Amino acid sequence: MSGSARSTTGGLDPAIGALVEAYFARVHGALLLTAAGECEETVDDLRAHVYEEIARTPGAAADVERVLAALGTPESLAAQCADGEPEAVQGAPAVHAGRSLLSGKVLGLPYEFRPPTADRVALRWWDPTQPDILVPRVFGIGWDINFGAVAVRVGLIRPDDEDVPFASVPRPWLALSGLLPLAVAAIFAVLVARYQGALPAQVAVHWGITGAPDNFASKESALTLPVAMTLIGLGILALAWLRRRSALSRVASGALALMLSTISVGAYGQQIASANGGGNTAVLLSVMVLGLVVTFLMLVVLARVGRSVEMRRDLEGTSKKGSV
Amino acid sequence: MGNDTDSRLSQFRKGVVELAILALLHRGEAYGGEIVDRLAGHPGLAISAGTVYPLLSRLKKSGLIDSLWRESPVGPPRKYYRLSATGDLEFAAMAKAWEGVTDAMDELLGSEASR
Repeated sequence: MSGSARSTTGGLDPAIGALVEAYFARVHGALLLTAAGECEETVDDLRAHVYEEIARTPGAAADVERVLAALGTPESLAAQCADGEPEAVQGAPAVHAGRSLLSGKVLGLPYEFRPPTADRVALRWWDPTQPDILVPRVFGIGWDINFGAVAVRVGLIRPDDEDVPFASVPRPWLALSGLLPLAVAAIFAVLVARYQGALPAQVAVHWGITGAPDNFASKESALTLPVAMTLIGLGILALAWLRRRSALSRVASGALALMLSTISVGAYGQQIASANGGGNTAVLLSVMVLGLVVTFLMLVVLARVGRSVEMRRDLEGTSKKGSV
Repeated sequence: MGNDTDSRLSQFRKGVVELAILALLHRGEAYGGEIVDRLAGHPGLAISAGTVYPLLSRLKKSGLIDSLWRESPVGPPRKYYRLSATGDLEFAAMAKAWEGVTDAMDELLGSEASR
């Protein structure tokens, strides 16, 4: 299972392994002092890398000492890590850093080579382990809701139900997260085909607090923004699947595409409603709320599917010896 | 106690939580809510669910702990955590390092802390 970082110790002279472990025990001790708990992951990756380096040498004590000396003292290493550690790395599903390290970079620390991954962006949308519902910094649009935190708060899931979000979700279910936004985009296309011709030349594109339109544009340019939003959403979604990103990334991009296409449908629907004498923004608001709810439900359903797969695996595995 | 003091305290607690979780699991397996509750029973640590769960996920990823769903005597199944073999070793090393830290700090703080 996991622990691949450590398994590299196998086959090594225990005395050599002890040298490395002693070094890292000191790093860990120093990390406790600098309160840089988040660095542990980085340090683990570094440890794995050290073993790889040692494997390339004859493996004498002198070689080990040379590799370790290149890292500096454990204390300075810990201090470096504590200073340079970016926020909120916790929970980021590992792009396995042990291998992504450029060789010869023992002197540098791995965290510099870990660009913000798609997963880290996705975790803003779905990180049940974090209790904060509204998370700072946005991805493209005006809010950033941690739906995972909402689901936990409401009691639909527990924070640790899935080991890695959506990783155990079977493919057909995963595909659902891609098909839903496609379906909404199709509805949008149908609406445009059906109503675009009938719309007046000038349509409402902005509404005041009272719900009365306060800005107009030609119906062609009014269509540009919703179409662009939908296409951006679908583009991000396509990228996540084509690049074979993690399940979390795929699902999160599906959620984003779903929201963007729903907002587009809402905006276009509102244009139609206003053109037909509607005096409020009920269409836009209700479609947007509906979009949020559907997105939320999609995420929760997938998380629960993932949980039940995990649960079944464990419970059936143990029931043979456990029950009876 | 100003804001500075608060943030310094939380900084230094943060580093200890991981060791606290390993120590707790060293005594026996536990499920998430139980870990949160038991650590919350030590107000000095000031640990919340928001600290514990991300750490559990990270410890699991680095192979120090394992988890397993098991039927619960009450209610739905629960995910139980326990130390892995590597986790045992790591805990021993960290506990030892911690001992060194506390010994040194006890000496440095000495009578000042107690009086």
